Amino acid sequence: MRQFSTNEFLFILAAMQWTVVLSLLAFALGGALGGLVAVLRVSRLLPVRLLATGYVQLFQGTPLLMQLFLVYYGLGLFGLRLDAWTAVTVAYSCYAAAFLGEIWRGCIQAVPREQWEAAKAMSFTYLQQLRLIVIPQAVRIAIPPTVGFLVQLVKATAVASIIGFVELTRAGQLMTNATFQPTIVYPLVAALYFALCWPLSLWAQHLERRLRVDNAMGRKK
Amino acid sequence: MTRTPRLFAAAAAAVLGLVLGAGGADAQTLDRILKEKKIRITAQIDSAPFGILDKDNKPTGSEIETARQIAKDLGVQLELVQVSGPQRIPALLSDRADLAISSLSITTERAKTVWFSSPHGALSIVIGGPKNIAIKGPADLAGKKIGMTRATLEEQEVPKIAPPGTNIVFFDEHAATQQALLTGQVDAIGSAAFLIADLAKKAPNMGIETKFTVTTAFYGIAVKPGNLDLLQWVNTWVFVNKNNGVLAKIYETHTGVKLVDLPPL
Amino acid sequence: MTYVFQFGIVLDHFDRMLAGAWLTIRLAGLAMVLGLAVAVVCAYLRTAGPKPLRALVGAYVEAIRNTPLLIQLYVVFFSLPSLGVRMDANEAALVAMVINLGAYATEIVRAGVQSVPRGQIECGVALGLTRLQVYRLIVLFPALKAVFPALASQFILLLLGSSVVSAISANELTAISNTLQSTTFRAFEVYIIATIMYLAIAVAFRGLFAALYWYVFVRGRGR
Repeated sequence: MRQFSTNEFLFILAAMQWTVVLSLLAFALGGALGGLVAVLRVSRLLPVRLLATGYVQLFQGTPLLMQLFLVYYGLGLFGLRLDAWTAVTVAYSCYAAAFLGEIWRGCIQAVPREQWEAAKAMSFTYLQQLRLIVIPQAVRIAIPPTVGFLVQLVKATAVASIIGFVELTRAGQLMTNATFQPTIVYPLVAALYFALCWPLSLWAQHLERRLRVDNAMGRKK
Repeated sequence: MTRTPRLFAAAAAAVLGLVLGAGGADAQTLDRILKEKKIRITAQIDSAPFGILDKDNKPTGSEIETARQIAKDLGVQLELVQVSGPQRIPALLSDRADLAISSLSITTERAKTVWFSSPHGALSIVIGGPKNIAIKGPADLAGKKIGMTRATLEEQEVPKIAPPGTNIVFFDEHAATQQALLTGQVDAIGSAAFLIADLAKKAPNMGIETKFTVTTAFYGIAVKPGNLDLLQWVNTWVFVNKNNGVLAKIYETHTGVKLVDLPPL
Repeated sequence: MTYVFQFGIVLDHFDRMLAGAWLTIRLAGLAMVLGLAVAVVCAYLRTAGPKPLRALVGAYVEAIRNTPLLIQLYVVFFSLPSLGVRMDANEAALVAMVINLGAYATEIVRAGVQSVPRGQIECGVALGLTRLQVYRLIVLFPALKAVFPALASQFILLLLGSSVVSAISANELTAISNTLQSTTFRAFEVYIIATIMYLAIAVAFRGLFAALYWYVFVRGRGR
């Protein structure tokens, strides 16, 4: 029987790089697409708004696992064989865009009405209002929840194992199967995720504190 | 913003082109493999003893060795397409793998979706227990406590042959089932034959032995429907390697039990 | 040869998929109620509890939010038995989901609590209410109202996240789908139907939340 030792630990540690790479990729592309979704969600044109809402509902309403499966294997049935990298890029971008778009929409709408109206009074076009007045203010509110979502995204990369990526979770499963020692492997994997995510969480909380005044229920200031 | 429509148009055209281009007739798969000098075969590396990672984290196991032997006999390079259980068939049907070799038991239901070769291996479900427990056949199970693992072939098959009065208890993992036998919580267990052999080695003082075989499931190599040329070659390969003992050697090396006689499909 | 979809083979087992979907709904629904209860208690402890408890809740929230649900599930299912706690698959799945949702919801409810204007809390204190009474009678209602959308999103995430509990053989929608695709090999048909069912459940829950919001927070409720 194979024992869990340094070799197995290194295997899991090496798999962590895929978790990081996939997270960064999804965040960068999902962010770009998410910005578009957010803007479309607050569009003044009803059909555009509906389209964006439908997009968000579809990608937030179905498991990421199924989305990735259908993009990678489903499209393959019709001869559209994306390679593994393209498939994860497409699927994770669409997924992240739905969530980031929705977070950012909330932030855009949190900017007081008067700001729009003032900009309009200065005869800015709609896009100018958005770009020059509203978005710079929305970004301030948006940063903490965005970093918070990044934590979710790191954990969501585990799903990429269905198309052959051996990332952190999959590496843990493989080592469990090889060593039959789940009580060692899974707490270790949990600790590694924690090491990746906790700094991000702390950063998000730090940003939140800096950007928001709280009443601190029960805490005297 | 003026750029967006053009971008959309370009993307739409690209997608349409790919979809339309895909409908064309399949080239002969075997010829393609020989020309590209590469065959892609599914590798399920989380299911010992069929596929598992060895000490250097290289895939090994009876099904992986079978894949290696096939590539060798074709004289082409082997590309192992790593999958877990639910992706074995999608990988085959979406043309990401030429063959699925992942201990696929042959059933009529499954044959509606993929084409099976003649079986190249078998999985026997047996009742195993310590020497001092007298079990000769299904009738002796009455009044005994029999352990087995959930979501396995034994979970489906053993209850069918168990007489009334058999007390069947389920565990979630093979390790738990085996532990229950070793600690005497159950009289015997239903399990794959090779696991009983493994257990007998692990606990030599218990005298654990195979009591009788409940059922034998045969597993084969699957090809995408329509790939007749490849299927024909695979069947020939199975025939040859069954008779020259290569299949039996691979099976016995990895499972520790003898391969039963394999009937043709 | 192009692939021909055979939904009929899958639809023959549609009742099993419905049963799986029903378990998904029950697990998620129960986890939502229990998780929210955990969150309301923990959010209080986190903001107004004694210091050690505050730190303990903080550790719980951080530990859960920064590790994947699947791993939490494995720990509950594989590690707790060695401490003598035995659960069947559905119970373990529910426990893991409640623990998971509880942590996220604690953080959300806490944010809601802190968004309640200071003046209201001081009013309560001036009226001679205890901290717990202030929390229960004054803070909780507007806090939950403020964070209701965030809670609803978290619930939906949990609903979809529940697909991972198939890993420990709870027979919910994903587990049934995996079994069906393994017996029929019709993975595409099975997963497409499962995806549509998830979407329908998610949309239904969103509708339910909207109705709940209106019923509890809007309908002439002058608290």
